[in-house]
Amino acid sequence: MNITSFAFLCFYAVVLFLYYLIPKKAQWMLLLAASILYFLTAGELWLIAYPAVSVTAVFIGALCIEKTKEPVKRKRVLSFVVLFCLVLLIVLKYSNFGAYTYNGLAARIPFLPGSLPELHFLVPLGISFYTLALLGYLFDVYYEIGRAQHNFLKFALFGFYFPVVISGPILRYRDVEGQLYEGHKLDYKQVTYGLQRILWGFFKKLVIAERMAVIVNTVYGDYASYPGAYIFIATVCFAFQLYADFSGGIDIVIGISETFGIRIAENFSTPFFSRSIQEFWRRWHITLGVWMKDYLFFPLQRTRRFSDMQAALKKRFGKKAGKKMAAYGAMFVLWFAVGMWHGGSWKLIVGSGILHWSYIVLGEIGQPLWNKLYAVFKVKKDGRVFGIFQQVRTFLLVCGGFLFFRSACFFTACDMYRKMFTTWNPQVFWNGALLQLGLDPVEFVIAVVSLLLLLAVSVLQQKGSVRDRLAGKNIAVRWIVLYALLFYVILLGYYGPGYSAAEFIYQGF
Amino acid sequence: MNKRQALKAVAFVLIFLFLLRSVTYMLRTNGTIKEIFVGFYAEPKDTIDVIMIGSSPVYPYYIAPKIWGEHGITCYPLSTNQQRPRAAVYLVEEALKTQSPGLFIFELRQYAYEESMMTENMAYTRGVTDNLKYSLNRINLINDMVPEVSERYTYYFDIFKYHSNWKTIILPDQYTSFLYERKHPLKGFELNTDVVAGEGKDYSRLAGTMQIPAEQEEMLCRLLEYLKENDLNALFLVSPMKMDEEMQKKYNYMEEIIVQYGYRYLNLNDYYEELGLDFATDFYDGGGHTNILGAQKCTEFLGHYLAEYYNFEDKRGDEKYDSWQTAYEYWQECCKEGMEIVEGNIEGAQKDEEGKE
Repeated sequence: MNITSFAFLCFYAVVLFLYYLIPKKAQWMLLLAASILYFLTAGELWLIAYPAVSVTAVFIGALCIEKTKEPVKRKRVLSFVVLFCLVLLIVLKYSNFGAYTYNGLAARIPFLPGSLPELHFLVPLGISFYTLALLGYLFDVYYEIGRAQHNFLKFALFGFYFPVVISGPILRYRDVEGQLYEGHKLDYKQVTYGLQRILWGFFKKLVIAERMAVIVNTVYGDYASYPGAYIFIATVCFAFQLYADFSGGIDIVIGISETFGIRIAENFSTPFFSRSIQEFWRRWHITLGVWMKDYLFFPLQRTRRFSDMQAALKKRFGKKAGKKMAAYGAMFVLWFAVGMWHGGSWKLIVGSGILHWSYIVLGEIGQPLWNKLYAVFKVKKDGRVFGIFQQVRTFLLVCGGFLFFRSACFFTACDMYRKMFTTWNPQVFWNGALLQLGLDPVEFVIAVVSLLLLLAVSVLQQKGSVRDRLAGKNIAVRWIVLYALLFYVILLGYYGPGYSAAEFIYQGF
Repeated sequence: MNKRQALKAVAFVLIFLFLLRSVTYMLRTNGTIKEIFVGFYAEPKDTIDVIMIGSSPVYPYYIAPKIWGEHGITCYPLSTNQQRPRAAVYLVEEALKTQSPGLFIFELRQYAYEESMMTENMAYTRGVTDNLKYSLNRINLINDMVPEVSERYTYYFDIFKYHSNWKTIILPDQYTSFLYERKHPLKGFELNTDVVAGEGKDYSRLAGTMQIPAEQEEMLCRLLEYLKENDLNALFLVSPMKMDEEMQKKYNYMEEIIVQYGYRYLNLNDYYEELGLDFATDFYDGGGHTNILGAQKCTEFLGHYLAEYYNFEDKRGDEKYDSWQTAYEYWQECCKEGMEIVEGNIEGAQKDEEGKE
């Protein structure tokens, strides 16, 4: 049940209606029942066993950790449960990573014999999202940042909560604990705001992402025929597609949750306005970045092994350089994990992980050089032009990773880079060739207008809540805007019989 | 949520539904069938004497303005391409919402064919479902005609199908159909001037019967039962076509059932001479559907038949029926032009034939 499907909307409408019809005390039970039902209809029935096992293991593990005062025992329980959940995740999602890697190399290196068989497992919905959410909860209990939940069914709701299992955001138990279980009365503002957010998500997904996908699929599906500037254009379009798709899905999810009176974490904050890669990752897939920092990067830096390594490096390369090198090492682990989370393939590990790590490291190492260049060109670092330059530079660097993300495999991405830089065809920008990529002139104009609308709203979002701003207008203006957006989506969205809307890109995670 | 907010929410939803309905009506694919139905809904209450239900052998065959001009009888087709017999009862119910016709005519061609032939392309189903106004009857029709439950929502809310037609909304025919009511200039008749010769053979003397597909027999009986229960008058009609033995026997089979129920049956293929039908000139597709020449002949015959066997009041001169008079005058103009074209086409076809020889 795709969250933009009619079936899902009916399902959601029924749940919402019942939610405010039943006593407040029972609302969380309804959400649990709906979440289980959603899982059951998402694929093979038995696949629910995986999240059920993980939820049970983490629930029991957290209780044991809370009960035990002995640090060694606590650590042992934590390690066992974390290992158990990660093994489940690795077996289901990454079991073919080794085989893919070996087979890819064997195909290119003559002396490597044969090929390894690939295993095919059915993977439960949202495994990467719920596993991280559950482990985050366990770590919080271990570090005594949060308390353990003693009611299994209540905890199960946290693990199964249906809006977020599709494409996140990654929930943090302590953020939603109170809201998930307390009763909510029907709040007009909350529900209407939530519905507006859902509508905006539909706009991004059905109008922008699906339109961008036409150009992206044309070029990426046959990049040999579309070299040079075509690849550049398609990659920029993919950046918009991915953003509209992922953040659109998140808007829908947050909107749905908001209508239940449950506010969940934001996952995006106008990321394409970022001036650096670090800032980009603070504004893109925020909950993943926060999780990785809180539960991987910082704990890693606190380990004895890391301290020993840092000490050794300081001794060898000097205090400042040694400290930096150790930090870069820890960052490498972080970014490798970020890439790996996206999927067991090198294109994702490089495109969503290591490449970004290298941007950051090169940025820092090259700082003296950049400073010299700024001085030579008399750059005003706090000037508006430089700000725009930084935003464009960051966007293009991010696009560099997206090329890996979207291509069929790591080697294809390398080949696409070669084809992009070895073919000089800037004429495609003005000779009408762009209109041969699947969108006719009218569709092209709609795509551009929709992107401008997205840009305008993003600019407004920087200044505060757009929904608050809209709520401040009189009813006629408000309703005209809402009807206009509704019919914009209804008429110009890509959906319906004969059109198979792509699943959300992050749904596969 | 207080009362005021609840009212606002209800008002917002109602306005949205009204707008959605109008937008959907406008975006439904433009063309002959939409024009026919939009025209039907625009007819004033209780002004139609005869409703003709059936497939494509209806709207290009019978010229409603001509029947009006010559007999003062108002006929209107509720006809769609490859119309599934299953739709007949629902179309009768739809017609009865605004009209009290003295007679329903049912064209029988589709009853001779397997259902699968009509369901392989869902456009034939949509031809009916997506040309009715929103109503409970429409929902019942969809439930009956669309077996795949998971697909039905795209029929209930046909905006799912037609939203991509948004580029057509600038066409006057589209944006003026926001209420799904706009008079049809020829009262549902579709004029065709092409000429493709065919060979017609007279099987009127052929006796014997052949069973029609079981599903269609069931539909025919369902319709007859419904007509009986509701005390509705009906004529079952077969329009002229390129016949063969099998078809004639199937029609004979249908005739037996229809007559058993006490309804009239009229196979125009039994009256080629009386019609003066010429398969060389009167069809636009070699014997499947009539052009303007054939249509005039069929209409002439049907008009006289209606005048002779039924007691319809001649309403010519009644102001209430001015639009019918306008349609008749418009038809006369179209006929003049159409006949010139069709004669040219016949000459051209004859020259082609001579050239071949």
